[in-house]
Amino acid sequence: MSETEALESMVGGEYKYGFTTDVEYEDFPTGINEDIIREISRRKNEPEWVTEFRLEAYEKWKQMEEPEWPNVEYQTPDFDKVQYYSATKKNNGKKPESLDDVDPEIIETYEKLGIPLQEQKQLQGIAVDAVFDSESIFTTFKEKLAEAGVIFCSISEAIQDHPELVKEYLGSVVPKGDNFYAALNSAVFSDGSFVYVPEDTVCPMELSTYFRINNMQSGQFERTLIICEDNSHVSYLEGCTAPMYQENQLHAAVVELVALENAEIKYSTIQNWYSGDEKGKGGIFNFVTKRGHCRGDNSKISWTQVETGSAITWKYPSVIMQGDNSIGEFFSVAVTNNRQQADTGTKMIHVGKNTKSTIISKGISAGESNNSYRGQVKISPRADNAQNYSVCDSMLIGQTCGAHTFPYIESANPTAKVEHEASTSRVGEDQIFYLQQRGMDEDDAISLIVNGFCKEVLKELPMEFAVEADKLLGIKLEGSVG
Amino acid sequence: MTKLKQTKQTFLQDLLDFQGSLNGKSQFLDEVRLKAADEVRNTPFPHRKDEDWRFISLRDLYSDNYQLADGMEVSLPDISEHYLPESEGARMVFVNGSFSEKHSSTEALPEEVEIGNLADFASEDHPLVKEHLGKYGNFEGDVFSSFNAAFLSDGVFIHVPEGLKVDTPVHLLFVQTDAEVNYFATSRSLVLADANSEITIVEDYIGLGNNKYFNLPVFEVNLEEKAFVKHTKIQRESKEAIHVARTGAFVAKHANYESYTITLGAKLSRNEPRISQRDEEVEFTVDGLVLIDGDQVSDTHSVMDHRFSHAESHQLHKCVINGKAHSVFNGKIFVRKDAQKIDSFQENRNLLLSRKGLVNTKPQLEIFADDVVCTHGATVGQLEEDEVFYLKSRGLNDQQARELLIYAFALETIENIAVDSVQKLLVDEVHKYTERQLDSQLTT
Repeated sequence: MSETEALESMVGGEYKYGFTTDVEYEDFPTGINEDIIREISRRKNEPEWVTEFRLEAYEKWKQMEEPEWPNVEYQTPDFDKVQYYSATKKNNGKKPESLDDVDPEIIETYEKLGIPLQEQKQLQGIAVDAVFDSESIFTTFKEKLAEAGVIFCSISEAIQDHPELVKEYLGSVVPKGDNFYAALNSAVFSDGSFVYVPEDTVCPMELSTYFRINNMQSGQFERTLIICEDNSHVSYLEGCTAPMYQENQLHAAVVELVALENAEIKYSTIQNWYSGDEKGKGGIFNFVTKRGHCRGDNSKISWTQVETGSAITWKYPSVIMQGDNSIGEFFSVAVTNNRQQADTGTKMIHVGKNTKSTIISKGISAGESNNSYRGQVKISPRADNAQNYSVCDSMLIGQTCGAHTFPYIESANPTAKVEHEASTSRVGEDQIFYLQQRGMDEDDAISLIVNGFCKEVLKELPMEFAVEADKLLGIKLEGSVG
Repeated sequence: MTKLKQTKQTFLQDLLDFQGSLNGKSQFLDEVRLKAADEVRNTPFPHRKDEDWRFISLRDLYSDNYQLADGMEVSLPDISEHYLPESEGARMVFVNGSFSEKHSSTEALPEEVEIGNLADFASEDHPLVKEHLGKYGNFEGDVFSSFNAAFLSDGVFIHVPEGLKVDTPVHLLFVQTDAEVNYFATSRSLVLADANSEITIVEDYIGLGNNKYFNLPVFEVNLEEKAFVKHTKIQRESKEAIHVARTGAFVAKHANYESYTITLGAKLSRNEPRISQRDEEVEFTVDGLVLIDGDQVSDTHSVMDHRFSHAESHQLHKCVINGKAHSVFNGKIFVRKDAQKIDSFQENRNLLLSRKGLVNTKPQLEIFADDVVCTHGATVGQLEEDEVFYLKSRGLNDQQARELLIYAFALETIENIAVDSVQKLLVDEVHKYTERQLDSQLTT
């Protein structure tokens, strides 16, 4: 689809994915305590060490306080009212063996979301893990991936089938007590994806997880773990949507990436959770800890994100560059409209020699929203010849929104080079005028300018998602100028 | 008076005991002091967990005892070498925070300019002092500016009446003497520039010894319509001193405030310039240069507060760091709601010359209006080897080449300073610094 077509297709500024799926849920009490954690563990039939992992995290979480430094305002969720586990009755807590066992309602839901699960209709070239509330519903192309030696399944399956791998890596990048929401996640985590790419393997297809929150009461606490062995490569993408509810739902995920020698992980996100209505009612609280660890020399981790949804976003995908010559990248477009608030950015920690990081962040705020970039670049004393280049541009649309930039730079090595630049501006009247003069109407002109503004980031996305993101941007900003 | 044990919570509160022995008495002064003392008691001492203080430790400050410099016996050597030739007859001298009439002279200034010791003007209930004092330099919730107000006494008062352009730059020389005991000094200065007036000020802090003391000056500037104030601050305190300063400036319509802050001395220094717009269509500059080495720590927290439409602001902050020195920069460009058409530029460039040095920089944009152009940039790096090579290929030796490059790096921030002798003085300081740093590099 060409760019103009993508822009043409932007119709109706509404949230398209706000429908609910009518499924029956198993009973599960709300609130959090040791018994609940043991119960989650029991229902998932987890080995003792996982239960211990959860309980230790819970102990840590109890001692912690919710961070106040993000530049967002919200009512702290009542942790006793959240349902920490949500499984549909039909599945009875077990993952369906074949598609026939999956609730047709859910299959239909995914179809509506543009992710057909039936074999004939499956998206070619992309293996999909579909996560519905707390469970992984179905994973496509598993066999084909297995031929290449790649393990792609839900984390619950991985705990059952590959405990040695999970045990080695779980919590090794984001420790149990890393921060308030990471600790909560470690205590109650539900399904997320597990990817293991063995040595000398290029994953034959794109891997993707589609997260859907449906249950009004439940929070989603997915946990994703991706391990890339020496000389391997994987590209992974995730998408997220949720129905429109008046209440806020909590989404506290943890993503851990491990790249060993010469490995490369590319992680892309299109986050489109329900963002609340114009008055700021409802929407998802998106409190996510994502971190990658370049453990081996010459490894590379690249984060690309398009953040358009959620009422509150609090998310800093980070890279620890420990191996020499390793590379960290962060490409982000964050769009806020109405009463959305986003505080997002990255951390680039340079430990190894000759490490290199790039940060490109584009923030667009409209309506009465607030959009903050918060990033840290840290050069440790032994990171000789480390290099960082950061650009954070913000665009304001309308007079009631805010854009903020909080870059933290710390350099303790004289051979390192750190460059940061940021700017804030708006869509220029002269730019719009120029395009209108060429025959475009105002909305199209703005779309084109916004697309140009984000181009550097969008080009990093896998093809299919780039088109999707283009559309998303258009819809998000529809009607916000005038 | 000595204290056995200071804790950081009570550190400033304990020092309030000295309040009774202050010079200058009047009902107005007493009211200000007592109110401020209350604020000190009710404001927590900053902590590393506070966002604004996370990069530096104040341990060096509160782990010692201090006594009030006021009334202390002073042996003062000849200080005339520090006088600026341009400011003959336009000079106020303070020794350890106390006004020294003997060294001061203001006869070269036009009669209409009101200039003198702030304590005297305040004691006489000068209406302008009562109206303006504390309006620009008392930062909310800031224990240090309250502490300064609790010891309100000597300091500078300058009032330039409407339409008057003062050609002679005014030299405000704050001399800190060598002493056996640790002392603290708190000067307060108030500069009022009425409509269409113009004045150039050089605020100059010099430490004569290598002793430890705690200097906490607050400097307030108010610019009325179309006023133009050029303000240069040079900080060359003793290498053991602690210098915590606040500068508050308010800028009215069509006025222009130009400030340059040069940090050379002190073991620990903290500068907080805050420039606020009082009306539309203003211009201001908040440039800075920091040259530190050894175990010096320099921290600059600036705020450019754009409250109304149409402002042009500029900040270029450069730091050269050597030895185990640590430089912190946190510059905030703040654009309030409906403050449209703001053009704000901020750049922080750091030259990190040693392996043990540390740079923290946090340029910050907080923008609530859409029709603005605000940019900031920050860089940390060392001298470009290509540039060194280029100069060497032109016949300079390694040392000369590096010296020239450091010199060029620093020069950009000082070449706009209005007073020639200050420029020359700073050029010498840069030269001394680069020599020192190259020497240390050769020996290690």
